[in-house]
Amino acid sequence: MEILIAILAGVLMTTGVYNLLQKQILRIVIGTVLLSHGAHLFILTMGKLKRGQPPILMDGIENYADPLPQALILTSIVISFGITSLLLVLAYRTARENNTDNMEKLRGTENE
Amino acid sequence: MIFAVLIPLIFAIFVPMLSKIKHKIHTGIFVFFIPFSIFLYFIRFVGNDFSPVRHEYSWIPSLGINFDFYLDGLSLLFVLLISGIGSLVVLYSVYYLHVSERLGSFYVYLLMFMTAMLGVVLSDNLFVLYTFWELTSISSFLLIGYWHWRERSRYGAQKSMLITVFGGLSMLGGFVLLTVVTGTTSIQAIISQIDVILESNYLPLIMGLILLGAFTKSAQFPFHIWLPDAMEAPTPVSAYLHSATMVKAGIYLVARFSPVFATYEWFFIVVSIVGIVTLCWASYMAVRQTDLKGILAFSTISQLGMIMAMLGFGTKVAVFAAMFHILNHATFKGSLFMVAGIIDHETGTRDIRRLGGLLTIMPITATLALFGTFSMAGIPLPFLNGFYSKELFFDSTLHLNEVINPVANVLIPIIPYLAVFGSIFTFVYSMYFFFGVFTGPKQFDKLKIKPHEAPIGMLISPIILVLGVILIGLFPNMVNGTFLIHAAEAVNSAVEYKKVYFWHGFVPELYMSLAVVGIGTVLYITRKKWSNVYHVLPGKMSFNKLYDALVKNVDIVSAKITNTYMTGSLKLYMTIILAAIVVVTFIVMFVTNGFQMEYSNLAEVTFIEVAVVAIIIIAALATIFTTSKLGAILITGVVGYGVATLFVIYRAPDLALTQLVIETVSVALFLLCFYHLPKLQKRKESTRSKVQNGIISIGFGALMTMIAISAHSTDWFDPISDYFLETAYKLGGGHNVVNVILVDMRGLDTLFEIAVLGIAALAIFSLIKLRNNKEAE
Amino acid sequence: MSNLAVLPIIIPLIAGIIVALFNSRVTITRTLTKLLSIVSLGVVSYVTLVVFTKGSIVLETGGWVAPYGIALVADPLAAILVLTTNIVAVACAFYAPYSLSLRQEQHYFYAFYFFLISGVSGAFLTGDLFNLFVFFEVLLMASYALIVLGGEKIQLRESIKYVLINLFSSILFVTAVAFIYGAVGTVNMAQIAERVQDVEQGGILTTVAILLFFVFATKAALFPLYYWMPNSYIVPNPVVSALFAALLTKVGIYSILRVFSLIFIHDTNLTHQFFIWVAGLSMIFGVIGALSTNNIKLIIAYNIIPAIGFIIMGIGVFNQDALSGSIYYLIHDMIIKTVLFLIVSVIAYVAGTSDLRKMGGLIHYYPLLGWLLFISAFVLAGIPPFSGFIGKFLLLKGALTNSEVAIVIITLLSSLLILYSVMKIFIRGFWGEKDESGKYEKKSIKGFIGPIVLLLAFSVFLGVGAEFIYPSIESISAYLLDPQLYIDSVLKE
Repeated sequence: MEILIAILAGVLMTTGVYNLLQKQILRIVIGTVLLSHGAHLFILTMGKLKRGQPPILMDGIENYADPLPQALILTSIVISFGITSLLLVLAYRTARENNTDNMEKLRGTENE
Repeated sequence: MIFAVLIPLIFAIFVPMLSKIKHKIHTGIFVFFIPFSIFLYFIRFVGNDFSPVRHEYSWIPSLGINFDFYLDGLSLLFVLLISGIGSLVVLYSVYYLHVSERLGSFYVYLLMFMTAMLGVVLSDNLFVLYTFWELTSISSFLLIGYWHWRERSRYGAQKSMLITVFGGLSMLGGFVLLTVVTGTTSIQAIISQIDVILESNYLPLIMGLILLGAFTKSAQFPFHIWLPDAMEAPTPVSAYLHSATMVKAGIYLVARFSPVFATYEWFFIVVSIVGIVTLCWASYMAVRQTDLKGILAFSTISQLGMIMAMLGFGTKVAVFAAMFHILNHATFKGSLFMVAGIIDHETGTRDIRRLGGLLTIMPITATLALFGTFSMAGIPLPFLNGFYSKELFFDSTLHLNEVINPVANVLIPIIPYLAVFGSIFTFVYSMYFFFGVFTGPKQFDKLKIKPHEAPIGMLISPIILVLGVILIGLFPNMVNGTFLIHAAEAVNSAVEYKKVYFWHGFVPELYMSLAVVGIGTVLYITRKKWSNVYHVLPGKMSFNKLYDALVKNVDIVSAKITNTYMTGSLKLYMTIILAAIVVVTFIVMFVTNGFQMEYSNLAEVTFIEVAVVAIIIIAALATIFTTSKLGAILITGVVGYGVATLFVIYRAPDLALTQLVIETVSVALFLLCFYHLPKLQKRKESTRSKVQNGIISIGFGALMTMIAISAHSTDWFDPISDYFLETAYKLGGGHNVVNVILVDMRGLDTLFEIAVLGIAALAIFSLIKLRNNKEAE
Repeated sequence: MSNLAVLPIIIPLIAGIIVALFNSRVTITRTLTKLLSIVSLGVVSYVTLVVFTKGSIVLETGGWVAPYGIALVADPLAAILVLTTNIVAVACAFYAPYSLSLRQEQHYFYAFYFFLISGVSGAFLTGDLFNLFVFFEVLLMASYALIVLGGEKIQLRESIKYVLINLFSSILFVTAVAFIYGAVGTVNMAQIAERVQDVEQGGILTTVAILLFFVFATKAALFPLYYWMPNSYIVPNPVVSALFAALLTKVGIYSILRVFSLIFIHDTNLTHQFFIWVAGLSMIFGVIGALSTNNIKLIIAYNIIPAIGFIIMGIGVFNQDALSGSIYYLIHDMIIKTVLFLIVSVIAYVAGTSDLRKMGGLIHYYPLLGWLLFISAFVLAGIPPFSGFIGKFLLLKGALTNSEVAIVIITLLSSLLILYSVMKIFIRGFWGEKDESGKYEKKSIKGFIGPIVLLLAFSVFLGVGAEFIYPSIESISAYLLDPQLYIDSVLKE
């Protein structure tokens, strides 16, 4: 199963990168979202999957899933959310201000 | 001694103040006392019983960089030149530079240079020497650019800086290498470890790097090109830096390191050849110049080449002759520069084609020039010092057999001929300089001002220098025995004191001198007839053009290179970054045998999981192919919810909840922000670009998957999480271990995670507010 | 006592919140910022003093013993970098009011400024790899806010590229941390180091190390990952550019230094040799970039790249002298890059353009500015007795001790071209005929000059007074070469 999830995360990263390499801002942002999902799944996989119960301590249960990756993912999810929100607003503003959502038209070498 | 070195720099601080009253008292008058007192301080060391003096002051002892001053004969010769000529030049400048000039800056730079130059010749520490060395380049740069509103001055300043700093940095490389090889930073200590250096594999590199420094500074072929352009500096500066002192720093360096390299055969070959070629080329080129200072610049280059060649020979006679010529050159060339300055000052031009017949109008100047040029030409007269050292030079070229060096054997027979060749042209341009200016038809109508003799003040300094020419010529052994011999000993300890005589019989070197005078005279008289030879050589080639092309192209080529990849295209940037990551990481994984796959110890696969995974994969791929804006956003949402489902399956309830909430908010945000933007277009992308993107994406995804599988397959350590499970309740007081980790064990993460959110909120707020403000304006 | 380690992070964080609260009252925020930045500098100086006299301070946050909780490790390296950060920060705090528009100040500049400092200090001090990621995010988020401050068209355009590339590298970072956790089961740096040592960096670890290197190299703007940097560094307000130049890339290079002197040191033939290549290429391409442009701000921005190249070269050579050189150069470059960015901004301000082709003869109006630039150019190029020389000297010595001749020659040549690229500004911008047209009518630049002079003086002191500083640097590099010291101080075994 771990291998399957690793492949899934790999596919998410592949599609993420592919989107990142597009021209339209929306696609690029979607690409970063997919990349984050991939990253989170990788973290999860690293903690060995499905070993024991959810890490909520209860009497009589010996085996729990590894809690640390979960904690790390939680932190990371929240941070990604923060950045994605900022990115969205920034993307929107940039597109409005420059009248295009095509990143290839936002090259700007005139200040060289 | 540190005081003597630093006093010009210290005094320089007060110069701007003194220059405030320049209309009452010329600033130069104050400045004069500095080099003069330094001269008086050092002159007392001169004597037969001289022995080296060493003073040490610490600066950065833990790096072995200290102000260790070492005054031996060689340093003493240079110190006296620096302070002596320095005094005369400052005196001369009082009359040369009008008070309306920026005298403050001028003397600050000049004093800065004095300290730097004294430091170069007195430092025993490699890196202190280097420090002062670069300071000479900097002050020279500023002095050449003194009239910086002239295009030529800026050009000359930049050129000299680029070339000399290039050499300086290369020399630094050589110095560091020397330190690494010998473990010391003291030159004297290095000299005592010759064996270590000679056995080192780095020997060619060390020598090459240090010589590059010396050759650039002393304007040796082909680095000589900066010196003619440095003539844009005010004439006192040319006389001082670019003839008598700074350009001899390279000579000093070679002399200083001669004891180290002298037995290395390539030292002889490289230094002699470079020196001789410089001598011949520059004297040949000097004849073609029309600017008086241009002639003197090339003449300086060629004389430096001659001295360099003698140091390359390294024989007893040659080394002694080199020291002798350093002194002689300073006297006659210094006076000639001052003469050129006087002519410029009093006639308004330095163009020799517009000058002529000044003999009757400027008799004193003419007399001075006569002594200077004839001494330079090496005419055999007993009262011209130039003759003695030139004859010693000829002598040394004839006695190179004492160099035991198989490689050099081919060169040795040719050298005397080259020496004569160079000297003939020296003779020609010397005559050209004197007769071109002072005899011939008067053409005063071509001059802007009516020429007249210079004021006495301006004449004092060249008169003193010419007196030096004559006195040394009449009593050569006066200086030789007392201090030149000590200088020579420092370069080659085998040198013995031998008296120099004007007449020493019909020896080959006399015939060489006579040949120079004879052929030189013929060539001078017929010079118009053979001047076409310059169309053939150098013709259109020149190292100047090479330099200009280099400097110009450095800018153009680098702009071209940079513009190929700095296109502002995010896609290109990302492509390069990803390609680098994928390629290098794959290589590393392959080289280190990093990939491994372990099938045991895996969780089992169930149908529902496969189904969820399949849905996510389909959704993820769909994001690439969809052309609907709304569709793309919603499909991304599907991926997010799919991941949340996986979190549920993999026993992470907290994650699943968070993911659900955040995914919902994100989708809403997406919709909100992109409602107003244009639709997704059908991508008009070339297949090539698609394939390229595809390769990079798949490469990256595959790389990550392979690393993940390998990392997961290692089985070295237990994760540290058992501790969390054990202590979450006991120490943390919570049943939900993930929560305890977040708020307690890794509370710092969470605190700053909140900070990130806070900053993001503030940033978004200010982005939106900014827009409102803007629209309000 | 050990709580001292958190102060350099917490003080700016609180300061940021305070100034955010007073945001609408600009005079108050200005005064508060100056005051608080000085307070922070004072505290950090004290912490540094303690670290150097009594040894590293390790704070186990929340009382959870390392490696389970997050440990903050104020070791000499971290301390001296935090100190330098704060010195730069104070100068920028005094420079900012002159350089920013009122609108920019009111858009929480000062708050973001403090958050940035907090994130940078945290990144230097943390002893936990995941926590390092979090601090990276703090400083990046603050930098996103700062770069876009003002909201000009080109700013938005460059910001979005900047955010995207950094976001990508952050995702890669967190993934790499996951891989490390998967392989060695911990995120505490000291414990990672210990465990990597136990398995002799076998299996996949070197690959992950390289991945991590790419993450940091992107932030550090090394070849071939620097493309985002030059243009995005020149669009924001000058004081922001200066802060970025001084701090952001340096956090990246610090992370490389830390990770590759503490953790991944068992396959140096591969990893560190690779760094030397990267160093050489960074120097070459950075210098080429600096020569390619007539935009004075861009010249300085490109000059960041070879400087980072020098530092990574020292890490690649990896002996005592080279590491000392890297650290010395790191400190030196933090200061001098700030100075240069501040200076060229003033030049652009008085000349009314950043285009070198459109200026000339400025020295007739602004002599002091010209000479400050002149000295800075030599400081930057590493001409003695200034600070760049000490670092470069040590780097050269270290490299030659290891017989790395090629990189030494590249270093020397790029030094020359660096000098040329900056002197071009002096020769073409300052020298030349006096412009009488009134184009450069005397503008008051008094407020700008103070911070510049102070920083430059400090920079000169770093060189001339090297004897006071070098022994500390030497002790740091000796400390770095013995990772066990770090491991023991954190894990206390």
